[in-house]
Amino acid sequence: MDVQAEVPNAVPPVGEHKGDKVPQPIEFPHDIHADKNGINCMYCHTYARRSKVAGIPPTSKCMGCHTVIATDKPRIKQLTEYWEKHEPPQWNKVHDVPDFVHFTHEKHLRRFIFDNEGMDVSRASEVCAFCHGDIKKMTVANKVKPLNMGFCVRCHEKNGGPSDCWKCHK
Amino acid sequence: MSGNEINRRDFLKFMGIGGASAAALSGCDMPTTVTLEEGKEKVAAYLVPEEYVIPGVGVWFASTCQQCGAGCGVHGRVREGRLLKVEGNPDSAINWGGLCQMGQAGLQGHYNPDRLSKPLVRKNGSLVEVSWNEAWALVEEKTSAVKGDRAAWLTGSVSGHQAALLSKLQDSVGSKNHFVYEVINNRVAEAVNEAMLGEAVPRYRFDKAKAILSFGADFLGTWVSPVHFTYEYAGFRSGDRGVLITVEPKMTLTGANSDLWVAIRPGTEGVLALGIANVLLTKHQVDGSRLPAAARDAIAQYTPDKVTEITGVAGDTVVKIATYLKQRSPSLVLSGASAHDHANGYQSAAAIMMLNVLLGNVGQTIESSGGFPVKELTAKRGSSKALADFAALADQGALDVAFIYGANPVFTAPAHMKFADKLAKVHFKVALTLFADETTAMADVVLPLASPYESWGTMVAAYQPQEMTLGMQQPLMQPLYAETRSFGDVLLALLKKRNAADYQRYDDYYAYLRNAMTQLPAGLRQGKSDAEFWDTTVQKGLLKVSTTAPALKANVPDLTQKTAAAASDFPFHLVPSARLGLWDGRHANLPWLQEAPDQVSKVYWDSWAELHPKTAAQLGVKEGDFIRIESDQGAIEAQVYVFKGVHPEVVAVPMGQGHENYGRYASKRGVNPLKIVSAVTDEKTGEIATHATRVKITKTGKSSQLPRLGGSDRQAGRRLVGTVTADVFRKTEGGSNVA
Repeated sequence: MDVQAEVPNAVPPVGEHKGDKVPQPIEFPHDIHADKNGINCMYCHTYARRSKVAGIPPTSKCMGCHTVIATDKPRIKQLTEYWEKHEPPQWNKVHDVPDFVHFTHEKHLRRFIFDNEGMDVSRASEVCAFCHGDIKKMTVANKVKPLNMGFCVRCHEKNGGPSDCWKCHK
Repeated sequence: MSGNEINRRDFLKFMGIGGASAAALSGCDMPTTVTLEEGKEKVAAYLVPEEYVIPGVGVWFASTCQQCGAGCGVHGRVREGRLLKVEGNPDSAINWGGLCQMGQAGLQGHYNPDRLSKPLVRKNGSLVEVSWNEAWALVEEKTSAVKGDRAAWLTGSVSGHQAALLSKLQDSVGSKNHFVYEVINNRVAEAVNEAMLGEAVPRYRFDKAKAILSFGADFLGTWVSPVHFTYEYAGFRSGDRGVLITVEPKMTLTGANSDLWVAIRPGTEGVLALGIANVLLTKHQVDGSRLPAAARDAIAQYTPDKVTEITGVAGDTVVKIATYLKQRSPSLVLSGASAHDHANGYQSAAAIMMLNVLLGNVGQTIESSGGFPVKELTAKRGSSKALADFAALADQGALDVAFIYGANPVFTAPAHMKFADKLAKVHFKVALTLFADETTAMADVVLPLASPYESWGTMVAAYQPQEMTLGMQQPLMQPLYAETRSFGDVLLALLKKRNAADYQRYDDYYAYLRNAMTQLPAGLRQGKSDAEFWDTTVQKGLLKVSTTAPALKANVPDLTQKTAAAASDFPFHLVPSARLGLWDGRHANLPWLQEAPDQVSKVYWDSWAELHPKTAAQLGVKEGDFIRIESDQGAIEAQVYVFKGVHPEVVAVPMGQGHENYGRYASKRGVNPLKIVSAVTDEKTGEIATHATRVKITKTGKSSQLPRLGGSDRQAGRRLVGTVTADVFRKTEGGSNVA
């Protein structure tokens, strides 16, 4: 399910992977948030543009809206229970690279969004989709891209990314 | 899983056997167990993030290193609540941003898998894990009724507010028994400094000296404050390059950096010092009026020929050293363990310090530090006599309770002291520690401490260079284990039981420390409000304190030298050398330091015995052969390392190895030379004379490869390391003399 992204000055990486459905403590619906309500990915994954990791949104961020929105829904009730117990949910990691791989979200967002002429930050999800697939259409995220070295290297070749081994392996 | 299949052909192409360039990357599509792992790892978000926290981005916090007594300031990088790296704090006048390998390895103590996470209590003869509350209740029950001098503390060097709190605890119990024990110490020189200069720990200005003569003071490796001295040494060597001369029985890191390295017969350093003075007075017409007549008489006895006879140092070398010192003024003359851990150690150290007086160095390269203005916070410097004193009291049955912290005396005490037997006579023994070791194995209660990077505290180093510094120790992360407490918290809890009125209002040591810091004299606080003062001190990790330094005195005592007679049964001298890294053995459980080769011999993970090539030839041994080194106290076995940087009558074995019970990395590895040290003490100070042991060496017939990094010590004419003369260097490579 490759996205037909047309991000200017970018060639999306090629490769598919049929990941397993990973059960989560709360079935977070990405589609309602990112697609139906048009919330930018970086609104919740705030660290992506500043750090190597995108960051799982802090529970306080969820509660920022859900103390007033949809409070009667079962999943929100479940979330509120976590909040009141002062325990963040323990999510199961879907996307990961080995520990010997150094991947930074910040640098990729800079290349494809912020320093990319003609690209609008409101279309960030199309860039995220390069590696994460069209999460906007998913409920619980699952992995649709292989995220292995061939996948990365081919994208680097096409988009002029660095080819030094130590850029990613340190 | 389309796109990820890998077959044998693709694999071979990836390995470069196929050769078709179009498929060069197909091997990189190999699915690995990691890239295919989905839903195997948990990830928890913050409930409410701290404002300054960005996951993936480290934040640096300041604290103070606790790996030795030098008190270097550190910055620690913390990411997602975990401490990942420590580096030197550039603001600290002690280390100016540098940090030695022991400091770097501090993290390995913090995350060490052998750390104790629960208290241990002796039940039916063996130590079992219990809750903190149970252990604490037992400590309370056994210690609350003990009064006065029947309770004792045996600690390593302590300073700052923990030392102050410990004194107050001792006062509340009515006990004067606080024994501060360090096997690697500078106590004899401190006693000499006190007598001759009026100050035990003055400042040494390497950067002002033009020549340095070191009698076994390994200031680049293990002596007093090595990171600081290394910085000053760099200044000493740049520009108008200073001359370094080292006199010692076994080459240390400092010795290896010397322009002139002189091997000396152990215990005769004072004689050489007087011999140098003799040449200075007779040959170079140095003004001897600074010295009293008795001292000049003593010096007159030691002509170069007589010095050669006693010390084994050639007469022209004596003259050469004196000439260097005469030509290059001011100079700096230092003494270290190999010179003064002898029966005549005090006399040797006094003769060595006399050279500074004669050469007019006192006041030039040896300055008064002025002392830390808040006396109760100054460092309690360790000695080895303290251990003997403690052992004597324990032996008499005079102690009901002993608290042991920051020392592992069962490991470091010489066998002749029979320390373990004497400690066993103390009815109730509490060990405060991060790790189980030989000493905790004898304790009745073992309280697990939080690591230095989980604890609040302050540190005032014994040696204070250039400006006075109070090191601030702040926790860099939450404790890894719930049932550990910081040393300060344990002291505070003990005090609360005895003096509730004064201490009940402090919930924890943090509250006490914060309050105590705001009670410091106004001059130290530079007019800041309580909150501002606390915040800036914690943020910077240190407090700089200015003092006015009085002039040093320059008394010269009786310089009569006594040297030990040769012992025919035991022809060799044992030198238990300090090793940058393992130190006195406390860091032997840190794998980085075990793996780091010794700076001189390049051996790792084991002990070794350094022998001069001539001696090795006489004994018929080569590198890797095991020899038996026997003193009147017992024997150890170690592999030979044949090395020119050792006196032919000496066998040098490094300290730090030979643990029996100190976790997975240290135990059953190498030998501990301190065990076979003879029962000799310095006659004046009572310090254990660790370098006064005579031994005999026998071949065992066993041999195996010595674990050693690097092959040959020689360049064999290949000029791997090029050398140029100082003049050529100045002309071509720079230095401050170049316009």
